[in-house]
Amino acid sequence: MSELKSPRVWEKSFWPIAAAALLLCVWHFAVEWTGTKVFPSPLSVEKGIFELAHKHVLWADVADSLRRVAIGYGAAVVIGVPLGLCLGWFPAVNQVVNPLLQILRPISPIAWIPVAIIFFGIGDPAAIFLVFLGSFFPIVVAAVGGVSSVPLIFRRAGCNFGLSNFQLLRKIVFPAALPQILIGLRIALGIAWLVVVAGEMIAVDSGLGYLVIDSRNSGKRYDLVVAAMLMIGVIGLILDVAFRRIEKLKTVRWGFRNAT
Amino acid sequence: MQLRTKAMLLVVAWLVLISALHSYLNVNWAAVLNDYRPIEKRKIIVAYLPVTCQLTCPVTDYISRYSTSGEEFLPRMFQGFPEMKEALISNRVQAAFIVAPMALALKAQGVPIKVVYLGHRYGSAVVVRKDGPIKTFADMRGKTIAIPSRFSDERLLLFRAMKVWGINPNEIKMREMAPPDVSGALAAHAIDAFVMGEPFPSQAEMGGFGRVLFQAREYWPDYMSCILVVRQDLIDRRPDIVQVLVDGIARSGLWLDTSKPHREQAADFVGRFYYNQKPALLRWALTKPLDRVTYSPLAPRKADFDLVRDMMIETGVLNKKLEFSEYTDTRFSDKSSIETPWRYEAATGSAQ
Repeated sequence: MSELKSPRVWEKSFWPIAAAALLLCVWHFAVEWTGTKVFPSPLSVEKGIFELAHKHVLWADVADSLRRVAIGYGAAVVIGVPLGLCLGWFPAVNQVVNPLLQILRPISPIAWIPVAIIFFGIGDPAAIFLVFLGSFFPIVVAAVGGVSSVPLIFRRAGCNFGLSNFQLLRKIVFPAALPQILIGLRIALGIAWLVVVAGEMIAVDSGLGYLVIDSRNSGKRYDLVVAAMLMIGVIGLILDVAFRRIEKLKTVRWGFRNAT
Repeated sequence: MQLRTKAMLLVVAWLVLISALHSYLNVNWAAVLNDYRPIEKRKIIVAYLPVTCQLTCPVTDYISRYSTSGEEFLPRMFQGFPEMKEALISNRVQAAFIVAPMALALKAQGVPIKVVYLGHRYGSAVVVRKDGPIKTFADMRGKTIAIPSRFSDERLLLFRAMKVWGINPNEIKMREMAPPDVSGALAAHAIDAFVMGEPFPSQAEMGGFGRVLFQAREYWPDYMSCILVVRQDLIDRRPDIVQVLVDGIARSGLWLDTSKPHREQAADFVGRFYYNQKPALLRWALTKPLDRVTYSPLAPRKADFDLVRDMMIETGVLNKKLEFSEYTDTRFSDKSSIETPWRYEAATGSAQ
């Protein structure tokens, strides 16, 4: 079997940038060659980004979106992780609750929008509630799965050392389940970012989702629409990279049993 | 025959029956096949919203089906102005009923369209909650009101009222919403008021939760909002088609304005076959009173459009002083001024 060579330092950032540049080129020339007057070229999108930043709406909208994700996602973590641990720890309870969870889980947060508006009106709480819903279920499911996949031998060893139930949960089960929980958290963060944009298109009047709708409503300004879309993508990328950093921390790392 | 073969045959027969019924009842073949016809024979598609401001579009389509010349165009219903605007920009529809300021804004942004006719006059109203705190327009300070688009006459109407009452523009919060959503939003307390075209004010009135604060004409004599725009390439290529379209709209307008029974007939067939709204709702909007919305005279006038343009510039949604002749083509409305109302009565099943 051929072994993959580990890439050199410069290659790590060079090739992704090259791929992005290539895509930009294809986009640019596709717009040029088709002569479209509707879809914007990368250059006009760049101008659009500067226009949005210049009007001081861009940073306020980015901050609003991030704040909503932080609150909604934060609440989902604070409630979801302990709940998942409990359900994993008491399989009998899990058997009772699991069908309910599995019914609620596949309902897209977007489908909750009308209900959210009735409950919370138009404004921040509705959008935050949607983010919470979107990230809550993946976190709970990951935590339950994480706890139940901790090898029995770990628990027995803990018992032999005379740990109480709570200590066992805190010192053995939680750290052992952490890698899986983290994967759930990362997926949930991605979903939270998807949902906040969708929620902002309807339930509030600020944020990046609103920026897309607002740009759409201002006539033939698709440069602004695509600019807002690009910002959503870039911030999503930043969130993901930041999260991967956390996964690489030493305190977390040991739990990856299969990792070398 | 074996049981299994029998069952299979039954299943196949069932599927064939269902598919045939579906394609017969649900598929609009004229619209599906239109894309495959040669360009010169292809019918144009006209976009409209389920509001009475654009009632002449379905009325023309319905009546012309009974006339000797047959249907004139393919109407396509949308739910909001942004979708319509996108379809128009990308040439998915060749003509559309849109709000007048949006036509000016699109023209200023370089979309090749021309205004050829108006959709109606009057017929927009500001509606508040019946038991709500807003008694006069002065109570609107600090409240949220839904508008169909930032490029709408309804928004400009609010600015006119604000001027009269001495309210600052930033004291009222405006939210853009799709017209079909507003009366639900008002009932659910998500907004404090809305300004929309009929039948949504009537819907809130009939539902018992809304009260008309004022009609558009109280602050804007000769009020107009929705207008008919046509893409420039269609005007250049097939002016005859545009003329037929404008003539049909003009005749429908006159037909609607001849008598109350015509309005009731229109409420019935438009509600059932086009807008998917209760005919009783449209009847309310069209007859209580009869001049709640009117459909003649509808030829574009320079004074109306100059007013709209100046108010758009004043309220910051237009940055170009467009001239009337740049964005209108009045030759179609000039020719259609000799048109007479359709001769159509619901029971006869024929039109002239």
